Amino acid sequence: MAMREMRWRNRLFVPVFLLVLTTIYVAAAFRISPQFSEGLVGPRFLPLVSALLMYGALLHIIRNELVSGEESEKGGFWRPAAIVVATAAYIALFKPLGYSVSTLAYVCVLFHIFRYHEGRPLRRLIYAIAVTAVFYGLFALVFGVRLPTLLDLI
Amino acid sequence: MDFFLELFQGFAVLARPDVLAYMVLGFLIGTFFGAVPGLTSVLAIALLLPITYSMDVVPALVMCAAIFMSGMYAGSITATTINIPGAPSSMMTAIEGHALMKRGEGANALGHAAVGSMVGGSLGALLLMALMPLAAKASLLIQTPGKFSLVLFALVVIVIVQRDALAKGLVATMLGVMIGTVGIDVMQPIPRFNFGTEMLVEGIDMMPIIIGTFAISEVLYQAHRNHGDIRFSSSASTAIRRRDFLPSFAQIRQIGLFTYLKSALLGYGIGILPGVGGSMAAFVAYADAKRRSRAPEEYGNGSREGIAAAEAANNSMCGGAFVPMLMFGIPGDPTTAIVLGVLVINGLQPGPRLLENQTELIAPMFASLFISALVLVPLTLFLLGPWFVRIVSIPKGLLYACIAVVALVGSYVATFSVFQMALALLFGILAFFLRRQNYPTVALLLGFILGPDLEQYLRRSLSLSDGNPTVFLTSLDSLFFLILAAVFIYFMAIRKSKKAGIERKAAVEREP
Repeated sequence: MAMREMRWRNRLFVPVFLLVLTTIYVAAAFRISPQFSEGLVGPRFLPLVSALLMYGALLHIIRNELVSGEESEKGGFWRPAAIVVATAAYIALFKPLGYSVSTLAYVCVLFHIFRYHEGRPLRRLIYAIAVTAVFYGLFALVFGVRLPTLLDLI
Repeated sequence: MDFFLELFQGFAVLARPDVLAYMVLGFLIGTFFGAVPGLTSVLAIALLLPITYSMDVVPALVMCAAIFMSGMYAGSITATTINIPGAPSSMMTAIEGHALMKRGEGANALGHAAVGSMVGGSLGALLLMALMPLAAKASLLIQTPGKFSLVLFALVVIVIVQRDALAKGLVATMLGVMIGTVGIDVMQPIPRFNFGTEMLVEGIDMMPIIIGTFAISEVLYQAHRNHGDIRFSSSASTAIRRRDFLPSFAQIRQIGLFTYLKSALLGYGIGILPGVGGSMAAFVAYADAKRRSRAPEEYGNGSREGIAAAEAANNSMCGGAFVPMLMFGIPGDPTTAIVLGVLVINGLQPGPRLLENQTELIAPMFASLFISALVLVPLTLFLLGPWFVRIVSIPKGLLYACIAVVALVGSYVATFSVFQMALALLFGILAFFLRRQNYPTVALLLGFILGPDLEQYLRRSLSLSDGNPTVFLTSLDSLFFLILAAVFIYFMAIRKSKKAGIERKAAVEREP
């Protein structure tokens, strides 16, 4: 029973999330105040029609999910979650730490998550330095893009 | 006539060493991304998109065309060698190619895939070049109500090609349309859905959506699936000689010129339909070839004819997909949707004027599409074929770390804004969950691109006709596209579901 409930929760997560998102969208659509009247088909028209279609389709999906015995695609969640956290940290530290330091750390974390050269920290570090250097070369040297640096040094 | 002269000049531009180098580089990148299962040419062009900010438009477009063509062909490499299609459009090739591989004729199967791709790809490119002036003239005849109905038709096709998941297709498309409404309204100077933040007033760029949907979500998806590294079967790793790739003339004659031509025409026609793509082209051509084959029993057991038909169609689709994108800004498939981004970034607006005034910019791209198919596909197979099977041995950790860095730094480079990187991550997470539950993320991108056009043409048509909605029925071009949409809905959704219902009923009655 508990397994079945968990399966439902898994499958219903996306449609229910989109249902909530659509409701927020509809509420925001009603707050649009046009500068001049265009009749029925104004700035609110397409957003409301899209939301209506979205509600219809989502309710159909939810109904189908509740009666179907299909399972969601299997797979672990800790890795994607770890990548999301690492990426969010990378984005937050990209400017303060500069390209080189933040990218090196990010690549090391990704290597760890993907278990690349597990148990060989030195080799992993060398590859991380190589990846950081290659893309620095591509963006900064080949395409002349100014990437952020740490204290104007690296 | 001027157009054809400009086309010849496009070939001359392509012969410039720098432009030629970009084409070859693009072709190799496309081959790599097309061959590695999980990576696609769409992802390759998505990663290239931010870099195009720092490139000239001609090499950027030349590179995109080469990636498109090679990515479509390269899917057949791993489809044949390890039975995992490098791209979804190579599903049919996997069935026949891998059967030949198991019989020790893998190199021959790859050779037939290359010949099919070469014939289909070059025919598609030729048709694109030959019919472009006609398409431009036809597009001038379409008025604003007709443009609305055309975009509506495109959206209808995008949804109904999701054969078994219409509701999910509709959700993904509408989600794209909704994201497209964020920012300044298309007719009035008022912000919509910015939720009080200034950063959303100008709307959401195509870049973070493309990077998020195709690159970040791919990294998350691969981490989620957590499959072990792909290993070669012993037969795949055996040494392959170059001459093994050359299909014999007798085999090609047995397949027949008609099969190549018909499959290429089918692929081109399917490519013109928005959102349909190479998988459908390959499937339809394969099914058609099987239906009228003199040796249908070979299908499923290593039919060279099946490989030729599928590959000719999916590569010919590349030419067709450019027609609606260049004339109306309606992408024929996800790759052309991103190429549209490259055009827009460089200040080029799709439409007949693009062909009239800026042929010198797009002619080298057409030439690249043609040369990639005619010369580079067979040449690459001959020169690099023996190493193709090793492509998949690149460690995933290294590969996905590189993709993540290029995607994120690329999003930053485009606008020097960390906000774009954050948006790319956000759309990546959204696309990951959508993909996991089989929502078509391509439909999201196409909805995002077409939504603003749909709204603009709708409201403009109504404002020009004093709010009279019958303008869509009284205008002949508009009526044509509305009828076309209705025909598609009937044949691809209503009739199909009726047929399925009858079959289900018959099956229930047959049961004791």
